[in-house]
Amino acid sequence: MIPMASINKRILFAIGFVSAAIIAFQLVLMQILSIVQWYHFAYMVISVALLGFGAAGTVLSIFRRWLLERFEMALPLLMIFSGITMAIATGLSQSSCIRFDSYLLFADLSHTWRLAFTYLIFFIPFFFGALAIGLVFVKHVHHIGRLYFANLIGSGAGGVVALGLAWIFLSQELPAIIAILPIISGIIVLPKKPKVFILLVTFLSVIIITFIIIHPPCLVLSEFKDLSRTLNLPEAKVTLEKSSPYGLIQVVGSPALRYAPGLSLTYEEKVSITKAVFNNGDWLGPVILWGKTDTQPVMDYTTSALAYSMGRRDRVLVLDAGTGIDVSHAITKGAKEITYVEPNSALLGLLKREPFKEVDSLFDNADVSIHNTNSRTYLLTDTSQYDLITLPMIGAFGGTSGLYALSEQYLFTKEAFRQMWLKLTPNGVISITCWMDYPFRNPLKILSSICEVLEGQGIENPAHFIAAVRSWGTISIAVKRSPLSAYEIGRIRAFCTKMLFDPVILPDIKEAERAQFNVLADDQFFRYVDEILSSERGSLYKEYDFNIRPATDNRPYFSQFLRWQSLPHLARLFGERALPFFEIGYLIVVLTLVQISIAAVLLIILPLFSIGWRGGNKPWTVLYFSGIGIGYMFVEIIFIQRFILYFGSPIYSAALVISSMLVCSGIGSFMSSKWTGIRKSFPVILGVIIVLIFGYAIILTPILLKTITVAFEIKLLLAFLFVAPLSFFMGIPFPVGISLLAGKDEKEVPWAWGINGCLSVVSTAVATIIAVEIGFFWVMVFACLAYALPLIVNIKGLFTLQHI
Amino acid sequence: MSGMGVCMTNLIIGLTMLFSFFNVSSDNDPYTEQRQQMVTAQIERRGVGDKATLNAMRSVKRHLFVREGLIKHAYDDRPLPIGYGQTISQPYIVAYMTELIHPKPHHRVLEIGSGSGYQAAVLAGIVEKVYTIEIIPQLGNSAKNRLKKLGCTNVEVKVADGYFGWKEHAPFDAIIVTAASEYIPPPLIEQLKDGGRMVIPVGSPFMVQMLMLVEKKGGKITTTGLMPVRFVPFRRSN
Repeated sequence: MIPMASINKRILFAIGFVSAAIIAFQLVLMQILSIVQWYHFAYMVISVALLGFGAAGTVLSIFRRWLLERFEMALPLLMIFSGITMAIATGLSQSSCIRFDSYLLFADLSHTWRLAFTYLIFFIPFFFGALAIGLVFVKHVHHIGRLYFANLIGSGAGGVVALGLAWIFLSQELPAIIAILPIISGIIVLPKKPKVFILLVTFLSVIIITFIIIHPPCLVLSEFKDLSRTLNLPEAKVTLEKSSPYGLIQVVGSPALRYAPGLSLTYEEKVSITKAVFNNGDWLGPVILWGKTDTQPVMDYTTSALAYSMGRRDRVLVLDAGTGIDVSHAITKGAKEITYVEPNSALLGLLKREPFKEVDSLFDNADVSIHNTNSRTYLLTDTSQYDLITLPMIGAFGGTSGLYALSEQYLFTKEAFRQMWLKLTPNGVISITCWMDYPFRNPLKILSSICEVLEGQGIENPAHFIAAVRSWGTISIAVKRSPLSAYEIGRIRAFCTKMLFDPVILPDIKEAERAQFNVLADDQFFRYVDEILSSERGSLYKEYDFNIRPATDNRPYFSQFLRWQSLPHLARLFGERALPFFEIGYLIVVLTLVQISIAAVLLIILPLFSIGWRGGNKPWTVLYFSGIGIGYMFVEIIFIQRFILYFGSPIYSAALVISSMLVCSGIGSFMSSKWTGIRKSFPVILGVIIVLIFGYAIILTPILLKTITVAFEIKLLLAFLFVAPLSFFMGIPFPVGISLLAGKDEKEVPWAWGINGCLSVVSTAVATIIAVEIGFFWVMVFACLAYALPLIVNIKGLFTLQHI
Repeated sequence: MSGMGVCMTNLIIGLTMLFSFFNVSSDNDPYTEQRQQMVTAQIERRGVGDKATLNAMRSVKRHLFVREGLIKHAYDDRPLPIGYGQTISQPYIVAYMTELIHPKPHHRVLEIGSGSGYQAAVLAGIVEKVYTIEIIPQLGNSAKNRLKKLGCTNVEVKVADGYFGWKEHAPFDAIIVTAASEYIPPPLIEQLKDGGRMVIPVGSPFMVQMLMLVEKKGGKITTTGLMPVRFVPFRRSN
């Protein structure tokens, strides 16, 4: 047995710094990979890289004694290696021989190898950092409460630091800056008389990091990203860019850049040149160069003008207004009060200032009031009535390939449509425009959501309140608060004739007029529409190859259409190669889960060759540390999801939840080390955790909705009060478990730590899949069950551990 | 153009194709068999029956239009990257788009988005004249050189913004927009002959694409959204 060692404050600080760097690096990496590839691939790469924690546990289990004997030299070196690899990882992954393109993964097999190298490059900094932390945990296992406290406090601070730095520096500049923290950690834990070799490594690492800070790597975007393709246009250039936690926002101008979605074929004027805004290389919207005398006639020639074709709209609410195309349209149509709601403060700040120096700002218009918040939060807090509520365009030209399948879209849930409906004046209209996709998904799901909401409001025949018109590329749906009048129906028909659009839904629609100008080879679309409008929609939900049931606040994944049982049928029709591009987002989560599960199992099994397969503690260790790893992550993910609506921003929600949880859990961990009777009370603590999680699953959402209108500062306090007690208790099981295990067999400590790390990573993917398939509530229920595992294994006679 | 002129053009094109066929055979083109298979398995079997289109697909050496590292995949049933975020379309889509415009030997066809030049080369084997516009200079210039090298003398390549079409040579019997955008430029509608057909692929280049057919007849414009897998409803059979 290794003798009990004392611990000094330098080690606690070093652990805190390394933990902060690891979390900050993870967040920055997510941003960098989202810029060069897509968010989902970022998620996949980082999930695999985070297995560095599990791998560190494995290595520590196998080489425990060897590492402990060289602790004084190994600890600073591991910290310094973590820092140096953090700094060089981005540049290395962007080199031409390693850079992978996620689109080409399905077209060019060489990119599979490139992806594997990318995994490795990003895995290494996490591995070294985690190995350093794990080594300290093992060396000073009897101080685990304080160490875990330092680890969690550092991680919490790292999240906040990364968010702050994201406002100041470009993403590619940040890894080297963050890498300073592990280097400092390495320096402060240097032995009193360090060997020349360590000093040399430290010196070299400082030189290299300084060089990378001065010369940060260039990010090379996938050639298939919207921004890359736009920059191929003649004279295209980035005229402005702004980094923020929301992403890298860039404005691009080119004489060949025009915007006119689904333009009528009768339009004969010039389509005006515009600039466009991109977020992390993805199209965000056109910039409207707006002067006092300007109008936007182009928008009158799109199906989005449907609501205006029915009558005048004085009070207009534009939700998720983006770059303001619908705001400019409303001004053109003579609206008197226009409310612009946009959650992205970085975009808003940029639009209000920079690009409009040459013209009067659209946003300086006296008729436009600006609200920088989540649209759904705005709907919950606002009490006004509107003649028109517009939503952002759904889908993308040619389909989104399922990239948004796992985005929580609270604006397209049944609850959201109900709130919009209640905000309409008697003649008010909700206007929604989608790109026509094939196979048909978006328009059908929107329609099913609306019909269910109207029926919920006691309307027997929703078709009397809905109009829809279709062009060659888009479909617009107008939902009116009162039944459509004969006058309005006449105006809609005239609008269609003038624009060569076809009416799809009208109270007196005739089959022949639905495809006068724009024929659909698959005219089943109209049958699906009619079935949704009727009471038979339930059978369509069951039979259709895609999930077109409305999204709800409990499952806010509007763009998730995948039904697993349909995959063989779709593969037969469209070919296996096309499948990934139907629902790529969701498929990537499943692919991620498969990869990390296989790796996790290997990493958990491997140490058994070293520490032995037999022994009474093994089942206890596996069940205990799996349970607390899964339970903790499930709760964290659900808290983040629930607070998105509350704060109107995923960034603030994540920052508050992660930081509060880690800090409170850290305090819980610290207190556990002081609490002498902890072992006896332990089952009670686990019981409290389970009861609290289950209670939150039931009462959290109603309480958040009740208090959503209070001041932001009070919401912050309330959110903290919600998160704190549960997090405090959830911080106790890990150090107590480690301490119990150390008392029995210290060799199993690193293995247990590795299990906890592996399962924490696996559980993020599992939580997402549960949330998509059966909803948030059930993720919380499964979190209860996960915490029930350590409770069960502590019941004597099942799996026993000495001292309990 | 007079009837005799059209006949002569047909004869020359026919002879050229025949020559190129023998030429292919004589220079022992290792891809001849793959190309034949591509046409039979990927194109004919999916319902493309226009003889001129099938002949053109058989004679144009697709492997000369793809990146060096991807030559072995040139006849695969899928699109391939050609750089600058662009792709050479799946062979079936090229054939289907060609058939959709009902190409005739006397036709003058405008193509927006030359890319590698493959679609233009296929059309060149069927129609009298192909005008193709590419907005990305690197792609446009390389397509121009490639087509010239392959002897496609009835193709004219221009590096320009396709939005404006090619007014000097308008009107066109058919227009193929290979680089689809979110709107159909008004000048292209204007430059389409009465009775003409325009075809546009819609969708992610790596996904199965939907095709949009625009027809102009007696001043009336209609569009038809065509399924890639034609007339097979995707709803579950039960």
